[in-house]
Amino acid sequence: MSKRNDLEHKALQHIINTGFDGILQSDLWRKLGASSREGSRIALKLEEKKLVRREKELRDGRWTYRLYPKRLPAKIDSIADVPCLMCPDNPRCDPSSSISPQGCDKLTDWLLSISKNEAGSLGDS
Amino acid sequence: MLSTIDDATLMKVAEALGEEEAIKLIENLKNLDETTDDEIANKTGIRLNSVRKILYKLYDHSLVSLRRTRDPKTGWFIFHWKLQPDQLEGFILSQKRRVLEKLDIRLEYEMKHDFYYCYTPGCRRIPFEEAVELVFKCPTCGKPLMHYENGKMIQALAKKVEQLKKELGE
Repeated sequence: MSKRNDLEHKALQHIINTGFDGILQSDLWRKLGASSREGSRIALKLEEKKLVRREKELRDGRWTYRLYPKRLPAKIDSIADVPCLMCPDNPRCDPSSSISPQGCDKLTDWLLSISKNEAGSLGDS
Repeated sequence: MLSTIDDATLMKVAEALGEEEAIKLIENLKNLDETTDDEIANKTGIRLNSVRKILYKLYDHSLVSLRRTRDPKTGWFIFHWKLQPDQLEGFILSQKRRVLEKLDIRLEYEMKHDFYYCYTPGCRRIPFEEAVELVFKCPTCGKPLMHYENGKMIQALAKKVEQLKKELGE
C-alpha cells in the first residue's frame, strides 16, 4: 500500500470512529501527523469517493471543514448475543414447524436474561 | 478497496462463526494475501479437518474466496484461500435482517398470547388456549399453572427489534 493510500485509509478509519460527531479537518491532520496541504488533498479524495461528507465550519475566526463519515461501519454487537445468530437449527426454524421462533427455548432463555438486565438498568426489582 | 470494517468487528464475526479456532484462523488469514489449508494448520496448530470445516463455513457466507490448482506431482487439488473483508458488511446486514425477522415473529407471538407457568425451572410456559385444555396443570411436573406476566419480556424484545430496524434503516 502506498504512503498516500495508507494515510487515506487511516484518515477514513479516524473519521468513521468519530461517528455522528465528525472531526475537524485540522484536528485530524494533527492526529495523523500530516501537513494540511497533504490532508486537504486526502479529504477531497475521500469526498470524491463518496466516503465522507465535508461541512464548512468557522473555528477561531477561520473557516475549516468538519468531516463526517457517509456510512457508519456495520457492527455485529447488537446481534452478537442473540441465539438466532449462527443457530444450527436455522434451516429448520419456521413459524409453522416444530422448531420455531415462538417456542424456541434458547430464545426464551435469552429473552429472560435481557428482560432481567433491562429491569435492573431501570432500577426495577 | 477501502474497507469500513474494523478488526474488532472481524474478530466478533469470527467468534460468532466458530469460537476460538475461527478467531485464530482469521487472524492468520487477514495478514496473508492467499494461503492453503495446510499452511494455516501448520501456523495455527489447529487440526487440518477443523481448519477445513471453518474455511467451508466462511466460504458458505462468502467471507473467503477459493482458488483450486492441481499438484503436478500427485495430481491432487490444492485449495488456495483468501479473506474477503469487503463481504463482511453484507454478511452482517443479512444476519441482522434474518435475526430481526425471527425476533419480530416472537414479539408478535408474545404480544398476542397470555402465558401460564408452573414456575418450576426446566418447565415451559404454556399459552392460555393450551393451558385450558390441560386444566391448568403443568404437563411436565403436574403443578398448577399460574398466570405469567411477560410485559418485561415484551418491552426488552420490542426495544431490540426497534434497535435493529433503526440500524437497518427500516
